[in-house]
Order: sequence, then structure tokens, then C-alpha cells
Amino acid sequence: MDGKGFFIDLTRCTACRGCQVACKQWHNHPAEDTRNWGSFQNPPDLSYVTYKLVRMEEYVENGQVKDWLFFPDQCRHCIQPPCKMVGDMDDERAILQDFDTGAVLFTERTNNLFFDEILASCPYDIPRLDEATNLQGKCDMCFDRVINDKLPACVLVCPTGAMNFGDLDEMRQMADERLEVVKEEFPNAVLGDPNALRVIVLFHREPTRFHHAAVASLHGPGRFTRKQAFAKMFGNRKALI
Amino acid sequence: MTNHYNDLMNSDCILMMGANPAENHPISMKWVLKAKERGATLITVDPRYTRSAAKSHIYAPMRSGTDIAILGGMIKYILDNDLYFRDYVVNYTNAPQLVNPDYRFDEEQGLFSGFEKVGEMPFADFGFYDKTTWTFQKDADGIALRDETLQDPNCVFQLMKKHYERYTLERVSDTAGTSVEDLEAVYSAFAATGAPDKAGTSMYAMGWTQHTSGVQNIRSMAMIQLLLGNVGQPGGGVNALRGTSNVQGSTDQALLFHIIPGYMPTPRANLASLQDYNATTPSSPDPKSANWWQNRPKYIASLLKAMYPDQDPEESYNYMPKLDVGQNASWLVLFDQMHNGKFKGFFSWGMNPATSGSNANKNREALAQLDWMVCVNPFDNETASFWKGPGVDPGNVKTEVFFLPPALFAEKEGAVTNSGRWAQWRYQGPKPLGQCARDGDIMLEIFRRVRTLYEEEGGAFPDPILNLNQKDMAKEGATFPNRYDPHKVAKVMNGYFTRDTTINGTTYSAGTQVPSFPSLQDDGSTCSGNWLFCGSYTEAGNMMARRDKTQTEMQSNIGLFPNWSWAWPVNRRVLYNRASVDPQGNPYNPERAVIRWENGQWVGDVPDGGWPPGERHPFIMRPQGYGQFFGPGLADGPFPEHYEALECPYEEQPFSAQLHNPTALHFEADKEAACDPRYPFVGTTYRVCEHWQTGLMTRWTPWLLEAMPQQFAEIDPELARLREINNGDMVIVESVRGQIEAVAMVTPRVQPFTVMGQTLHMVGLPWHYGWVYPEYGGDSANLLTPSVGDPNTGIPETKAFMVNIRKK
Amino acid sequence: MKLGRREFIKLSATATAVTAFAGLGFNMQPSTAKARLLKTHWAKETTSICAFCSVGCGLLVHTDTSGSGRVINIEGDPEHPINEGSLCAKGAALAQTLENENRITTVKYRAPNTDQWVDAPWSWALQRIAQRVKEARDETFEESNGDGQVVNRTEGIAHIGSAEIDNEENWCLQAIMRSFGLVYIEHQARI
Repeated sequence: MDGKGFFIDLTRCTACRGCQVACKQWHNHPAEDTRNWGSFQNPPDLSYVTYKLVRMEEYVENGQVKDWLFFPDQCRHCIQPPCKMVGDMDDERAILQDFDTGAVLFTERTNNLFFDEILASCPYDIPRLDEATNLQGKCDMCFDRVINDKLPACVLVCPTGAMNFGDLDEMRQMADERLEVVKEEFPNAVLGDPNALRVIVLFHREPTRFHHAAVASLHGPGRFTRKQAFAKMFGNRKALI
Repeated sequence: MTNHYNDLMNSDCILMMGANPAENHPISMKWVLKAKERGATLITVDPRYTRSAAKSHIYAPMRSGTDIAILGGMIKYILDNDLYFRDYVVNYTNAPQLVNPDYRFDEEQGLFSGFEKVGEMPFADFGFYDKTTWTFQKDADGIALRDETLQDPNCVFQLMKKHYERYTLERVSDTAGTSVEDLEAVYSAFAATGAPDKAGTSMYAMGWTQHTSGVQNIRSMAMIQLLLGNVGQPGGGVNALRGTSNVQGSTDQALLFHIIPGYMPTPRANLASLQDYNATTPSSPDPKSANWWQNRPKYIASLLKAMYPDQDPEESYNYMPKLDVGQNASWLVLFDQMHNGKFKGFFSWGMNPATSGSNANKNREALAQLDWMVCVNPFDNETASFWKGPGVDPGNVKTEVFFLPPALFAEKEGAVTNSGRWAQWRYQGPKPLGQCARDGDIMLEIFRRVRTLYEEEGGAFPDPILNLNQKDMAKEGATFPNRYDPHKVAKVMNGYFTRDTTINGTTYSAGTQVPSFPSLQDDGSTCSGNWLFCGSYTEAGNMMARRDKTQTEMQSNIGLFPNWSWAWPVNRRVLYNRASVDPQGNPYNPERAVIRWENGQWVGDVPDGGWPPGERHPFIMRPQGYGQFFGPGLADGPFPEHYEALECPYEEQPFSAQLHNPTALHFEADKEAACDPRYPFVGTTYRVCEHWQTGLMTRWTPWLLEAMPQQFAEIDPELARLREINNGDMVIVESVRGQIEAVAMVTPRVQPFTVMGQTLHMVGLPWHYGWVYPEYGGDSANLLTPSVGDPNTGIPETKAFMVNIRKK
Repeated sequence: MKLGRREFIKLSATATAVTAFAGLGFNMQPSTAKARLLKTHWAKETTSICAFCSVGCGLLVHTDTSGSGRVINIEGDPEHPINEGSLCAKGAALAQTLENENRITTVKYRAPNTDQWVDAPWSWALQRIAQRVKEARDETFEESNGDGQVVNRTEGIAHIGSAEIDNEENWCLQAIMRSFGLVYIEHQARI
């Protein structure tokens, strides 16, 4: 069984931010105290109480806007999740991966883990820490909904078909088919790390225009690279502790 | 909307102009993008690059307030390139009709014949039109003469062609600041839907209405749609995206000065009796014109019977308050009169005019002139608390304020009508929170107590109050807050027989629900609170509550759900659908037919009247039965003409010597700043997806406030450099009427315009914020907007006005 | 590294409790059974229509039947032909708009020239409003205008609203205001 997956089609996202709010609603997460920082995007980043965030970036050439890029960002639910590999070194019950769905779940035992390591292990800059409790949080695939045969809140709420959810093989097929169509208008469209992830994102423009960590990279700015993270995991474990 | 939301998917080209559906009607994009994936071209024409623009194939920037220039240019483009749908134009519109030879348009002066100057505005004359020349040549029977070759120089078609001759690409570009290339891209894409089997649609909203030429903006589009044969077609039409969940319903029920329920005119003082009122009923000598309004006497008699069941309509007509002839009691006038101290009392029901009204400072001052105000709202707001607002000393404010807490949408039962005219029934989930009461209960209890006072004490003309129908509003024997009965009201709105009545051999006993409005009578034997809702709650039950998705194959093909909820009128989903077929009843687009004549009957949607094909002209609500290029009914001209906004940066404009709409609604005492160097930038207001209207509900919703926390001002990078403003800086935006603080959003999504050789910058402002909450949110952008309006509707010009911006 | 089914369920009880149920105030010991049921499981489900824009999206409203009687979830109605379960940011936030500690839940009264609200009983406020309506109406009622034409109106009271209440309420409201004789009746559709 291949488990579940998402297909996120950015050509269809209108940044209505239904997903961002529906996620908060279902998880009963509080709002953050924000201010306008010269952008439509808010909160500015993911947080322990913001699992889902629509990132909004202007694509500018010669001073002219060519596109306004919308990216509903969330955990990619890696098929081989490096966060879990790192976490298991300290507590095998802190980060779980569900056998049926493949959902990667952070539990209340994440306070036994080192946040910097977990964050560094994630190529997509996803996990966030709650300073007060030392717990870590991120998208849980609306696991309670999914095991009750309901769509994740962010998928049900999406009006345009940007957010899709189903069996992973179906999502992969949907992504491949849609990519072919989208390439007619956007020849450089790509799927982000489609074989490694349960959340397959179709980027119709260069993925890093959407977000620096939109796809896994060996040169992620300001973070440990995945390679470094793995090196630390398996090579310099004791030194880190 | 002439059509409905699902129907957008049937379009070949969607023009989003005067609307920003991705932000203000987000779920409409479900169907817009569905059309896109079926091959439709999406076009956004907007002063800003919006979330709608981001999904469009073509984005054309335009200076706010130049829609008629752009659309007039499209009319010229269609005519010059012979891209119009000739059969449709000849058969279904007034293009062939011959106009009064005395009708003139003075191209130099920019004025139509009959202008009477009354006074002067800055840089322009002000007056009104005597419309006696805006008429048609008629034959002996009174039917307009036609030249179906469209060649007569006095036919509407030729006059239209002449009128828009001046709307060249270059002149339009020079006025609107839109490049000629962008204009041509928009024109050619949209005009391609003039092919009989293609449909283009228009999605518009307050981007078109909120101008001193608002109605003519929309007429321009309606003319384009008639030229291209797009009205009545699936995927076509002229689609107003209305702003509020039930603003369609509240308009239908006539919470407006100029109409009574069902779009009948409010009685005027010169129409002393019901007979006088009925004498103004539209008539047509043309046997092929359905002239549906000829039935109006049945509708007003039934309305009066619904309001006053115990009186003959002739008597209860006397109970209806009358306007003086020519009296305008619209929003801007209302607040002007309040400012003048005319009103003792004021009800502000589910509204927040201290933030939503243009020139909001004037409204805030006006509220202080009242003796008392009743404010019904779920959250604290700038109107209810105006007496402690910025710069106000409560000790000086005499107004007594009652702030009443209403139940919210899910705490009660009843119907709301969406833009697609679907009346949809809602059920009660939880009980009203705390001591909140249903609006229906609040109003019924105020009424009951007023009525009791009149019963006990007498007073001025008590009859309308003592005789108002209560039995069809309230549960018998119940008390506040459990008296109001939405089912009873829905039933009387539909209407029932007041006595045993036989129609075409069928006898209906007293109390039976009227099946549909063709059965309404003018003799008091039927009541119906709103003829358009006749059919919504029949003997078969509550049609608005239906949840049946059954469709025929033909209906399924175009996304028509005739058994889901109920649409007015008569469950018709696409208006003017008789224009979607040729005079023999064959669909112009057989692939996406909405109706079709088959075996002696219509199939598909409910047709605009059941007559066989060709027996009636399709535009059944117009007395002549035709779509109108020449529209003699408006205050500002039979053809749309470009004028500048009342506050504009220029002393002259390229189309004529007439700078402004000479009939615009304005007030002598109010301040405007036309061509004032202190206010060099065009201001415009709009909404964002995350907030709603004045933010009264959404500012108090933390998840939405988190997403859009503060008033901002969108400006282009060049203006930012000019004023040394960085992205995220606090700025002050000011007009001649007031000022607000905002966070600067410096973005290339806004670009300066080149207009008549000059560079012009724009300042874009959402109007969702107010001083009450949050404290860091900023005050209303309507403190800046002018109290001037469209001459036909009175809708204020909040989309184009002049401001200055500086760093705080 | 993957867990077996049995082991997973045991552990996931606490996992879902933290992430899906308890929000910030996490509970360390929820029962396994509770964790595996949706929070909407015991709720009353009613259909409604969104209160914001005019698209008219269908909603499912989940109201708690065990204790509070309040809304615990609102999501899009998957059966509704327009939105097919989807909502925008505003629609998705409706539960928070409805169940909101800042809603006004009592009648507030502000006396002339005072600087604060005071709570008032409904009956007192409604009676006083009725008296104020009658006074204003009686003082300003015109049976005829300057030209001697019958008008039967009052220009001493004005009304605005509302596009936010139901059709049936609007019909009653216009009937009531017109029975009082008002001609200054306007609302959101004009702005």
C-alpha cells in the first residue's frame, strides 16, 4: 500500500487563503498577533500554530510584474522523513509515521528532541517550535479526518482544485497529467521532488521564486543542508549532543 | 446576474473589469478556472495587478474612472471590424429603430440634445436633460420604425457608430493610460465571442458602480454584449457580483427609497390613487412585445393585499408613503439631510455608515445631529460608538443610542438570495448567543409596541400601523423573542388566494398558495408580498429549501440545477434566454443550449415566457421587447460618454469640452478637489479576500485579522521614491475631506500611468478598517472619499478621487 | 522504522490529541477511543449559506449537542453545487465570527451626552424605542405636501439596512418602516 498523498497545483491557486484559515479552524489554533509588513502575506512565516501558510511572491522582470506567485506551503510528508530519522535517535515515539497513510506526525514527545536538529533535517523549512512548551509542530495531514474518510480541511476548502488529496499513486498520476497540460503555457513547469514526497507540488515557474525552500536543495540559504544534516545524524552524533 | 455562478464555466472569454473576483467573490473562481481549463480566455482590466490578474491570460492596467473610454473603444473596434452578431443585432435589439431626427450629440461640447444648465461645478457645467428628443420615429400604430439594413443615418446602429467614431485606440490609450497593444489584445479576445456559437461574459462589481458614470459603465458593457449576441447565452450575460450575502434579496424586498418590493416604483405625490398609479403602467402597441410590466397592476394590488389584508387595495394604496415628484431620498441625500438636522430618529440596521459611507466624517458629524439612533449589529463598530470617536467629546453629543444585539446567520432560519438570484433556505444551528435576538423578532417587537401606543393613545394617521398584516409575520400567542415566523412570511411573500378564485377553469380556495405569478390578480383576490417570489413557497412546499441535484442531460451539460433551491423569476436560471435561440427556436450554440424548441415545447431552462419561437421579442421586460443600444431612460444620455471623475487631475479631457458628467449628484456645501495641486494622486478604494465590507465582522475574527491586520496603501515604486517612502513605512494619506494613516505597500503590481503625456500615480486603499478595533488597524479609507454620485443611482464615487501621500 | 498498526494506534491516540484536538492546551491523557472520533461526531449538523459575499456557498454547521449547544465547526457543504465543499478565508473562519467573545450579547444604551454604554433590558429598550418612534412620527407626519398632494409620510425618521438579514426579515422590515410612513429607506445596495 502506497498510502496517501497531496497534489498541489499552483497554477490553480488564487491565494484566497481558505486553506490557511481552515487549517487553523480544524486544529483550533489561535491567530498570531501580526502587523502589515508591506505584503499581502501574513503571518510572515509558518509557526507552531500556523501549519499552513499561503506564501505570496511577486515575479518581477524589468520593473514589471509578470506574475504573482501563490504557494500554499506545508509539510511534504516525506516518504523517508529525515525529521523522523533524526528524531528517532533521541526518542522513537516523538515523531511517528502512520503505516496506512504515511502521515508524518509530531507528538507531545517532540519536547524530547532538539529542535535545531529537526529543523535542519528538513529540506523544506517546515517544523516550528513552541518556545513555551518546547513542543514542535507542523501539518498532521488532518490525520483524524483522514482516518475517518474525510478530506484534510485544506483540501475540502480549496475552491479551485489547487489542493488535492487521495491515494499517493492517484496523486502522482494526476500530477504527471496536469504537468503535461501546464507545460503548454509554462514550459519550465516542474513537480517538486515528486518521488520523495507525499505532497507533490506543481510549480509553473522556477520553484525558488515561490520560496527558497520550495524544493530540496544542497544550497539552502541560512540552514543546514540535507547533506550536512545527514552527516551530522550519522557522523557527528556525539559531538552534537 | 443575468446568469449564475456555475454558468461561468460555459464561457469562452471572461472579462473581469470593475470586479476582482479572486479577492471579493473567491469561490466564483472555481467556475472561472473551470472555463479556463476548457479553453476560455481570461482577461483582467484593473488599475492594480490583483489576485484575479494573476490567473488571467491578459492583464491590462487602466486608470480608474476611464471604463467608458475603454469600452467605447471596444464598441468601435467591434463595429469597425464587423465582428458583431448581425442576426442577433437585427432581430433582438433596437439597433434598426429610427431615432427622432431632432436628437443630437454635440461632439465638441460632449452634451446630448436637451441639456438645461442649472449651475456650475469646478471646470464644468451642471444641469439636467430634457429628454423629449431621445425618442423614436413611430408608425401610425405607435410602433417604432425600423431599417433592418441598418443603413438609415438616423437608425440607432448608425448613430451608435457615429457616437463611438471618436473612441480611437490612440485617444482611449491617451485617456486610460492603457497601451494600444493591451487594448487591442483585450478587444480582439473579447470580440471573438461575437461568433454565434461563442459566448463571452462580464463579471463586474463596485469597480463599475462606484463612479459618477456608474450606470453608463455598465450600459457600455451591456451594449457590447448585445453587439456580440452574448445576452441570454450560457457563458454570457452581464453579471453583477453583488457585495453581500443577501444584498440581492434586500434589493428585491426594496429597502430602497425609489422602489417597493418587486422593482415597482415608489408611489409619488402626483399619483393620488391606485388608479393614477396604474395609469403609469408600461404599455406597448406592438403585439409581438410581451411587455411583461403590463401586469404591474396585479402585482401592486397583491403587494397591498399582503401588507394590508383587510383593506381593498384602493384604500391601502393611501397608506403607502409618497415621495414628492422628483424627490431623491437616496443614501447621499439621506446623510446630507441628516447633517442638516432633518431627522430626529434613525435606524442603522446591520450597517456601519460611519465607515462604509463615502465622506465618512460627514456621516459621523451627521449622527450627532440625531435625537436618537437604533443600531443593530453583532459587534461594536464606528457607527454605534460614534459619540466617543476620534476628536469627539461625548459631552457634546446629544444622540441617544440603542445598540441591539442580533442573532447571526446560523442562529436562525430563513432565505438569502445570491447574485445568481438563487433564494436559498438556511436552518438554525445553535440558539442565538446570550441575549441576542433574531432581527425578525427585534423589528416585530418594536412594531408591536408602536402599534400598541397608537391603539392606546391615538396619533398621526394611525391607520397604516393599525392595519399592517401581523398574522403573516408572527406566531399567534407567542412573545418576544419567539414571535417571528419566517415560514409564514415566506408564504405571504409568495402569496395566497384571499378568497375562492377560479382562473382558467381551475378553482383555488381561499388560503391556497398561489402557484406562480401569472395567477396573481388585480382585484384583491390574491396577495403576494413580492411577485418575483411568487412560486418560491407553493402548495408543494418550500421551493427555496430544495436540495435535489436531478438534471436532464441538457441541463447537466451547462451546469443548470433547476431542482436545487429556487431562482427568481419562476425558477429561471438564465435571464433573456429566448435570445439564445434563433427566431425558429434553434440554439445559436447547439453545443451549449440553454433552451430549445422540441416537439412543440421548450426544454432546458424555464424560457422567458412560454410562447412558441418568434411569437414574442425576447427582452420581455422592455416595453418594446428589444435589447437597447439607444437607452432613452437614463439621466445622463442615451449613449454612454466618457467624462472624468468629479475629482480628477486634469482640467480638460480628450473626448469633449465637458470635463465631468454634467448631471452627477453632488452637494454644494461639500468639498471636492478637482485639479488641485495639493492632491496630485488618484485615490481608489477596494476590498481584500480576508475582510468583508467595513470589517465589522471580520476585524473581530482573529484568523482574518491575522491575515490582513492593518490599513495599507498600495503605491508604485516610482511614487515611493518621489516621496521617500519605503515598503512598510507608516504614511499619511489625505484628501480635501480627511486623512488616515496606513502602512505603505510599495509594489510593482501598481504602475504609474501615462495620461495625455503626463505621469500619474495612484494610491490604492482597502476600506475595511475603523478606529474601534483593532487599535493599530487605522481608520476608514472613506474618510477620504467624496460625497458625489451617479445621477441615476446615487451610488458614490469611491473608486476615483484625489489624494496626497506622505511619510509619517 | 515504521510502526505496526497496533502499536501505532496506541501511540497515535496521544498524537492526534495533541495536534488535532487540544490545540495549545494539550491534554496528556485522552482516551484512545475519543481521539479516533472526529470532534463533529456527536454534533448536530445543519445546512446554511455563507454570510459574507453573494456567491451563496453552502455550509455545514456542526453544533455541540452534549454541553454548550454552541458551534464547534463550520465547513463547506460538499453537496452544494456552487462551492462543492470549498470556502474562502472568510467562509472558513465563520465559526470564529459566530462563537466570538467580542460579540455584543446584551442590549447597550447610551444616554445623551454621557460617555459610556450601560446594559439595558430588552423590554425597557424596545419600549423606549417605540415611544421615540411615535413621538418623532407624530411631530413630523405630513398628510400632504406643499402642493396640497396627499403624501402620508414622515421625514423625521430615516432607516438604512440591511443586506445582512434574511429575505423574510427584509420584507417585514420594509413593510414596518413604510407603515410608519418613512420614505428615507436605504441600504448597502446604494453604496
